[in-house]
Amino acid sequence: MPQNPVSRTIADLPADVAARYPYRSRFTTVNGRRMHYVDEGPPDAPTVLLLHGNPAWGYLRRDTVVPLLGAGHRVVVPDQIGFGLSEKPHDHRVHTLDNHTANIVALLDRLDLRGVLFVCHDWGGPTGLGALLTRPDRAAAVAVMSTWAWASPSSEFHHRVLPWRLMHAPLVGPYLLGTHAAMPGRGMYLSVVDRARYAEQAMGAYTAVLDDPDERALTWIWPRSIPLGLPSDTTTERFAWLEAGVRDLRLPATVIWGREDDVFTPDVFAAHWHEVWPHAEGTHLVTGRHFLQEDSGAAIGALLVEFADRTVGVRR
Amino acid sequence: MTVSPHHDRPSGYRVVPLLAEHDLGHYPEFRTFLARTFALDDEPFGPPGLLQVDDRVYEITFVGRSGRPFPDGAEIGALVPGLEPLDETEADRDLWAILGWLVDGVGGEWNSDALTTTGRIYRIPATEETS
Repeated sequence: MPQNPVSRTIADLPADVAARYPYRSRFTTVNGRRMHYVDEGPPDAPTVLLLHGNPAWGYLRRDTVVPLLGAGHRVVVPDQIGFGLSEKPHDHRVHTLDNHTANIVALLDRLDLRGVLFVCHDWGGPTGLGALLTRPDRAAAVAVMSTWAWASPSSEFHHRVLPWRLMHAPLVGPYLLGTHAAMPGRGMYLSVVDRARYAEQAMGAYTAVLDDPDERALTWIWPRSIPLGLPSDTTTERFAWLEAGVRDLRLPATVIWGREDDVFTPDVFAAHWHEVWPHAEGTHLVTGRHFLQEDSGAAIGALLVEFADRTVGVRR
Repeated sequence: MTVSPHHDRPSGYRVVPLLAEHDLGHYPEFRTFLARTFALDDEPFGPPGLLQVDDRVYEITFVGRSGRPFPDGAEIGALVPGLEPLDETEADRDLWAILGWLVDGVGGEWNSDALTTTGRIYRIPATEETS
């Protein structure tokens, strides 16, 4: 499939954004859609795959990438279809959990990634772990942070009408999250600890890549894809499959969490990961709410370097 | 600001699309309320519904999709006279009022007070203008 000649790259973004994420933009196609990704470090080095969720893109990992590259790793950071500099389909049928998971599978195959450390945050968990279970031979280790892979228990926050379910309710979601970009704007702002720093250094990078209301569809479709035990749930079976598969995984695993995370609270969600994976390391608590990488990106990078050195190897 | 169903479509007006929802049934009570309000069970493929906000009229078109209960989606547009430009601020305020009417009409655990609080959390301009 030909690449769109007008694809925006990191270099096309505001200078301060490009300076903080100074990597070469690359593109491939996954399931017929244009995916943007960063691929840095020696091609034959142990690979770390960093997967983001809603409504982020690779920029979220900017401070984490640095120590990993410094330690000699290959680092691959895709932007999920619908976010960042990847294609943003307006057709809602593109945005199913299965399709997004298959996009990560396609990326693994396209780049022929092997011996991978999967690093999963938010929807990078269900999609990345689903891809890992589909291509287990490509995986060597896994790290999870502020994410989940089971249908129950959902977060108490996600069951509340105010604000969560109302925010993405029919017609309300397209208005708040589409017309008014609530998720990359105020939503992320409220989900970090150092809000002043975030407003100065990061908010513009997230809003700049979701310019138009019609491009923000995934910001309300993904919230609707969290199973809550309601008749409208669309992903219950996939999450049941995911949980069963994840429970059988015996890969080296580590759990990293934001100490101040009040959405995926560490006492419930990080603890549940240890119930799923009794062998997992951690929980390594760092400063951060749901978008913990904004407050502790470098510290997370250092934890991943230490973990990766022991589990997927290092090229020196 | 009052919102109510309207019956007479004004002539000489064009539709400016404002909002599209592909999954009214995500919370089925939203679909039920709109189907009841616009009598869609009696005439599912009749003319679009109309909503009046003060002296302005908005069109709500219902969308069907194979294998899904009707209506599956809804599209709201402003009726704007001739070739006059849309008053964007007014339309945004009206949309917010329509959403308040919607959630109050759906009822149960949904209400406009919660919508207003949500709007204020996310600094929605229409909320700030009315606070």
